[in-house]
Amino acid sequence: MFPSKPFPKTLIRHQHQTSSFIASPTLKHSRKIKMLRRNIRLRKEYLYRKNLEGDERVQYEKKMKIREALQEGKPIPTELRNEEARLRQEIDLEDQNTAVPRSHIDDEYANATENDPKILLTTSRNPSAPLIRFTKELKFAFPNSQRINRGSQVISEIIETARSHDFTDVILVHEHRGVPDGLIISHLPFGPTAYFGLLNVVTRHDISTKKAIGKMPEQYPHLIFNNFTTQMGQRVANVLKHVFPAPKVDARRIVTFSNESDYISFRNHVYDKGEGGPKSIELKEVGPRFELRLYQVKLGTVEQNEAETEWVIRPYMNTAKKRKFIGE
Amino acid sequence: MSIAKASGFEALEKLMSTEPPVFLAPSSISEVARTASRYLFEKLKPFNPKSPFDQLLVDGFDAEQIWQQIDLQCQPLLSSLRQDVKRFAQNPKEIRKLGNLALKVSHEDDDVDEMDMDDDELEATESEGDEEEEGDEEEEEEDDVEEDEEEKSGDHEGIEDKFFKIKELEEFLEEGEAEEYGLDYKNKKGVAKRKKQNLRDDDDDEEDEDEEEDDDEFGAFAGGDDEEADKLGKARYDDFFGGKKKETKMKLKDLSEDDEAELENQGDVKLSTHEKDRIKLQSKIEQMEKANLDPKHWTMQGEITAAKRPKNSALEVDLDFEHNTRPAPVITEEVTASLEDLIKSRIIEARFDDVQRAPSMPTKAKREAKEMDDSKSKKGLAEVYEDEYVRQANPAFAPTTFSDELKKEASILFKRLCLKLDSLSHFHFTPKPVIEEMSIQTNVPAIAMEEVAPVAVSDAAMLAPEEIFSGKGDIKDESELTQEERKRRRAKKKRKFKAESAKDPVKKARDDTTENPKTVTGSEER
Repeated sequence: MFPSKPFPKTLIRHQHQTSSFIASPTLKHSRKIKMLRRNIRLRKEYLYRKNLEGDERVQYEKKMKIREALQEGKPIPTELRNEEARLRQEIDLEDQNTAVPRSHIDDEYANATENDPKILLTTSRNPSAPLIRFTKELKFAFPNSQRINRGSQVISEIIETARSHDFTDVILVHEHRGVPDGLIISHLPFGPTAYFGLLNVVTRHDISTKKAIGKMPEQYPHLIFNNFTTQMGQRVANVLKHVFPAPKVDARRIVTFSNESDYISFRNHVYDKGEGGPKSIELKEVGPRFELRLYQVKLGTVEQNEAETEWVIRPYMNTAKKRKFIGE
Repeated sequence: MSIAKASGFEALEKLMSTEPPVFLAPSSISEVARTASRYLFEKLKPFNPKSPFDQLLVDGFDAEQIWQQIDLQCQPLLSSLRQDVKRFAQNPKEIRKLGNLALKVSHEDDDVDEMDMDDDELEATESEGDEEEEGDEEEEEEDDVEEDEEEKSGDHEGIEDKFFKIKELEEFLEEGEAEEYGLDYKNKKGVAKRKKQNLRDDDDDEEDEDEEEDDDEFGAFAGGDDEEADKLGKARYDDFFGGKKKETKMKLKDLSEDDEAELENQGDVKLSTHEKDRIKLQSKIEQMEKANLDPKHWTMQGEITAAKRPKNSALEVDLDFEHNTRPAPVITEEVTASLEDLIKSRIIEARFDDVQRAPSMPTKAKREAKEMDDSKSKKGLAEVYEDEYVRQANPAFAPTTFSDELKKEASILFKRLCLKLDSLSHFHFTPKPVIEEMSIQTNVPAIAMEEVAPVAVSDAAMLAPEEIFSGKGDIKDESELTQEERKRRRAKKKRKFKAESAKDPVKKARDDTTENPKTVTGSEER
């Protein structure tokens, strides 16, 4: 479980040399090797931590039992008697952070709230003009985002450059004959990837000309998530939430994700306080509007083909019509 | 020939005048009969070019032979006559239009009548039962036709006009009935005659007859419907308001052609319901058998790829199957309105699901906040000064302050932590390293460290001479120095002193141990 290869040379102050050290590489090459080894180490740590989860879960359960027994004044269950003292000490030292059992899933967004997200928007290869227009609209819809031309880049290249430039998310948009039909949101430092299908897309360009529709405010918006009740729903809400930065309290722009029988509606509004007192509000719809349909969540970035799938849609099951995975 | 004619005519008249019972008895009337028949034969000769006899050979022939000759002549004539009769039964107008033909026709009709009557008389004399009956039936039918024709032409003059003919009405009704019962109206009379002929002639070929009947039935079924439909669809002005000559000629031709066709195809009379049902069933069976043998329609063939079915055929078929997925939501006005209501309510409540920014860790450690005690310090000021002096002079001897203790504890803890972290992250774990502690070696006599006695008593020094002295170069005593060297030393000392005084300008009052304090004498007065 421990990493089998030694660490990069810079961190060790030993006198003896590591066995796999390559004699006199160029500087760039050695940096690449370091990056590679660092990534490998990080991944192995991640796997190790994931492995520990099982044990952690068990410990957590035991602590729960002891805590309950202590609270209710009941005798401690017999199986825990030997470990009771040690566990009680740990319970006393716990704070709200350590009391909850951590899963590897939570680790992905642990540091996400410290900084504003930085998004890279791009399309599939050879995009049509309507798709480019739609991507430009999305650039305005997601604050702090940047659009690049796809050209002939391979996905792994894109992800590598994004990682090195400290992007937090990469969003890919796919199309079918001009109509956007796919959206892939990939969180970057090995984060989860959510694959969505787009339906009922109405772009700002469709509605009216540039002059008529006016400019769109690029303020950091408030977010509304409606009907994301299940665990999978919370997960999706998390993914979508961390694409946006933390807004100011008096922000006028609102982005809504509303779930209705596993179809998520995306809406972009700007509001103003109306004339008739504080209770009246005038909403003006701005920006594109589409329905999202989640079909896959993978625990890895887009380029990692062998990443584990956390969830995948099963439309051909006989009971598919009755089951709802995101809400209700 | 005229004499013969005259005699023939007279003979005929004579025959007609005699009473029926006279025929039965063999008498002189036979001579008369022969003459009459010969006369008639001559009359009819021109209409029958194919007959082998120029004249009816009467002398020396018995009744049977004479009869055979007459029959030979009559047979072809009868069929053509029937056609004409039918045609004229349908459109009596043609009789007048045809001119010469019409006259001849009327003559023919009369002749036919007379001929029939003659035939009947001959038959009566020959006494062949079957033939008599059939002859009667034939006569009756032809009489009926005649009567019908007469009726149609004569009776309803008041109602009829250019547009409406009662005869046509009746014909239409009869055609409808025939249609319903499955027989073609056109062929009805002919069919009956034909059937009788068949029965009479070919008793052995009943099976063939049946087959023919069936085929004819089929033909009648199929043909009748189509013809009826065609008739209705192609109704023209001319059908109602009289045709032209072309049409009649065509019809004549058609009829003559049809005749031959009919003679071949026809063969059925009105069937009983059981037979009709049986025929229908058999047709159904044949259809089903045929369907079973043919390759199935592509929709019934189970799994089908696009290559195996005709192009675009799936568009025509109404495919219906259960969809297992919920369909995509249609965004209507109501949906949008409900969404907007939700948003508005959330705004009013100010209940958003924003990202909460986590509080960041401080990058710098907090400055050491010196604890300020409010209470009166236990130590007097002199004691505080004393402690400081002691610390400066003998660092090892001085008691440690509170902050020093904290620092020590912290450093010890941190060292332990570092040790544990190192053991976690280093693969090649090193054993516990020696924690070097910095201890200050002071040039304090060893006895002073061990004893509590004051320092000034002992003389022994702990440090070696070279540790004390940190000089270089020639060492000269004061007495050995020359004047220049003395000056040089003094200048150097001065320079040093000035440098030091420039560094710390603030001099503490108590450090000043000179004899002349800076204080003004005025302070002493107070």
